[in-house]
Amino acid sequence: MAALQTSVPGAAQAPTERPRVKRKRTVGQRFRHDWPLLLLTLPAMAQLAIFFYWPSAWNVIAFMDYSPHRPFWENPIVGFAWFGRLFSDPYFLPALGNTLKFALAQLAFVFPLSIVLALVMHSVVSTKIRSLFQSVVYLPYFFSWVLVVTVFVQMLGSDGLVSNLLLQSGGDRLTFMTDGDSFVFLAWMQWAWKDAGWGMIIFLAALASINPSLYEAAAVDGAGRWKRMWHITLPGIRPVIVLLLILQLGGILTVGFEQYQLQRDSVGFGATEVLDTFVYYRSIIGPQSESFGTAAGLFKGVIGLILILIANNVAHRLGEQGIYQKS
Amino acid sequence: MTTTDIRIQPRRRGDKRPSWDEEPSFLGKFVKAAFLVCYAAAIVLPIWAVVATSFASEEALSRAGGNLLLIPTDVSLKAYEEIFSGGALTESLLLTMGLTLGGTAISMVITIGAAYGLSRPGTLLHRPLLMLVLFTFLFAPGLYPSFLVVQSLGLFNSYWSLILPMAMNAFNLIVLRSFFMNSVPGELLDAAKMDGAGEFRTLFKIVLPMSKAILAVIALFYAVMYWNIYFQAVLYIPSQDVQPIQVVLQRMLMSTQGLPGAASQAAQYQSTAAAPTAALKMAVVVCTIIPIVIMYPFIQKHFTKAVITGAIKG
Repeated sequence: MAALQTSVPGAAQAPTERPRVKRKRTVGQRFRHDWPLLLLTLPAMAQLAIFFYWPSAWNVIAFMDYSPHRPFWENPIVGFAWFGRLFSDPYFLPALGNTLKFALAQLAFVFPLSIVLALVMHSVVSTKIRSLFQSVVYLPYFFSWVLVVTVFVQMLGSDGLVSNLLLQSGGDRLTFMTDGDSFVFLAWMQWAWKDAGWGMIIFLAALASINPSLYEAAAVDGAGRWKRMWHITLPGIRPVIVLLLILQLGGILTVGFEQYQLQRDSVGFGATEVLDTFVYYRSIIGPQSESFGTAAGLFKGVIGLILILIANNVAHRLGEQGIYQKS
Repeated sequence: MTTTDIRIQPRRRGDKRPSWDEEPSFLGKFVKAAFLVCYAAAIVLPIWAVVATSFASEEALSRAGGNLLLIPTDVSLKAYEEIFSGGALTESLLLTMGLTLGGTAISMVITIGAAYGLSRPGTLLHRPLLMLVLFTFLFAPGLYPSFLVVQSLGLFNSYWSLILPMAMNAFNLIVLRSFFMNSVPGELLDAAKMDGAGEFRTLFKIVLPMSKAILAVIALFYAVMYWNIYFQAVLYIPSQDVQPIQVVLQRMLMSTQGLPGAASQAAQYQSTAAAPTAALKMAVVVCTIIPIVIMYPFIQKHFTKAVITGAIKG
C-alpha cells in the first residue's frame, strides 16, 4: 500500500515522456525512403493520366465549335452555345426523361427484389440449399449484355421458345420484345434476371451481421416470425438499405449503355434512348457533331458529379460512410 | 477509410433450426420453396435450353419449329465442329482468350502495384495520389473525349484499344488496397522490414501470398470484363477482321432477326454462310458461358468479402 502511495505522486510528477516531436523529414529524404511505393503506383497513375484525366481535359471542346479536321487552336470558342442547343434539341429531353425513368424503375423494382431474395435466402436453414441457390443466382451477373439479350430473344422473342409453345397451344406469338411501350417491363425483366441475384449479396452479408441472440431474446419474449422480422431484421439492415439507396440516387444518370444500344433496332430508339446512347449516336455516329455530343456528355458528367456529392453528403449526415470519407 | 459496420458473424445455427425458432407453417414453407424454385428455374431453364439447342440437329430443330429446344431428341456436334473448324469463329474465340489473358495480366500488375503503393498512409504524395484515384468514382470523362484520346494515340483499330483504356478499375484497386491495409498484419510487415526486406520483397514474399483469395476474385472481375468486351470493340476496332466473340455473337443474332439494319450487319459478318443455324448461335453462346462457369466455383465463396469491401468502404 505504501509503495503504491509513493509511486502515484511520483508518476504524476515526472513527465519523463517528452511529447514526441516528429522530426520533419525533407522531401528528398522521404523520396529516398518511399520511392519503391511510388514506383509501384506509377503504372496506375500513368493509366489514369492518359485514359481518364487527359480525356477529361478534352471536354473543353464542348465550349468550341470543334472539328477534328483543323488544328486545335483554330477552332472557334462558342462558350455555352452547345449547352443551349441541348435543351432545344427534340431528342435530348426525352433521353434525359428515359434515363430517369429507367433509373427509378431499377430503384423501385430491382432493388426491393434483391432485398426480398436476401430475406428468403436468409430464412433457409439448410446450408446446402443456400449455397446451391447462391451459385445459381449470381451466375447471370457475369454474362455480357449481348448474351442476356440473345437469351431473351431466343426465349421470349416472337420466334422464341415461349412463342412457339403458345402457338402450338393455339395462342398468339409474344411481341413485347419489339414493342417500345413495354420496354421498361422488358428492361426490368432483364435486370432482374441478370443483376438482382448479385444485388442480394450485400443484403445477405448485412443480415448475417445481425446478432443472433437478438432473435433468441425476442423469441423468448414471445415475438413471432413476422414480429422478429419487423423489429429486428429490417432495422438491422436499414443502414445498408439507406446507404445503397442514396448511392444509387447519386448514380441516377448512369443506367447502363449496352442493354439499350443492343435493343435499339428491335425496340425503336424512342423507347431506348438514354443519355449515354444519345451521346454515342450524336458524337460518333451521325448526324455528327463532336462538340454537341461532348457537351451532352459533359452535362451528364457534371450533373452526375453534383448528384454523387449530394448523395454522399446526405449519407454522411445520416452517419453513414458513403463512397468517400470527409477527413 | 475506417472499417465497416458489417461484420459477418459466424452462422451459429449451421444446418439446424435453433431451439427458440418455431417450425414454419406448411403454407409458409411451400410459398418460400415455390419462390426459390421458380427463381432458380427462370435462370437455369434458359441456360439449359441454350445448351440443349446447341447440340440439336437441324431436323430436330425444324421439327420443334423454333429457335430453342427444351428436350433434345438427338445429339449433333455439327455446331461445335463448325466453331472449332479454324474459321472466323475459332479466330474470334482465340482473340478473345488472348485479350482476356493479356488484359487480365496487365490489369493485375497495375492494380496490385497501385494498391500496395497506396496502402501506407503517410508516405510521400500518398493523399494526392489517392485523391486522383477516388475522383474517378465521381466523374466520367465522356465518350467522345475518350474516343479522341484513343484516336490521337494511334490506337484506333488496334487491339490495344480494348485493353489499355480500361486496364485499371478504381473499384478493384480500392478493394485490394483495403485488403492490404486491414487484413495483412502490420507486425508481419514490420518484421520483414527488420529483416532487411525491401518493399518489393515484402510485396512478393509476404503480402501477395497472403492475399490469394482476393487476388483471385479481382482477377475474375477483370477476366469477365475483358471476356465480355462488346461496345469497346464496336467503338474502337470497327475495321478489324477478327472481332471479339461478343461482337460476333451479336452480329449472328442480328442477321436472323429480320430487323432494319440487319442486312448490313449480316454483310459485315461474311465468315459463316448467310444465316447461322439456331444450333450454331446457341453453341457460340455456350462457348461464351463456359469459361465463366469453369472459373467461378473456385472463387465464388470469396465474392462476399470483395463486394462488401468495395461497396461500403472506398
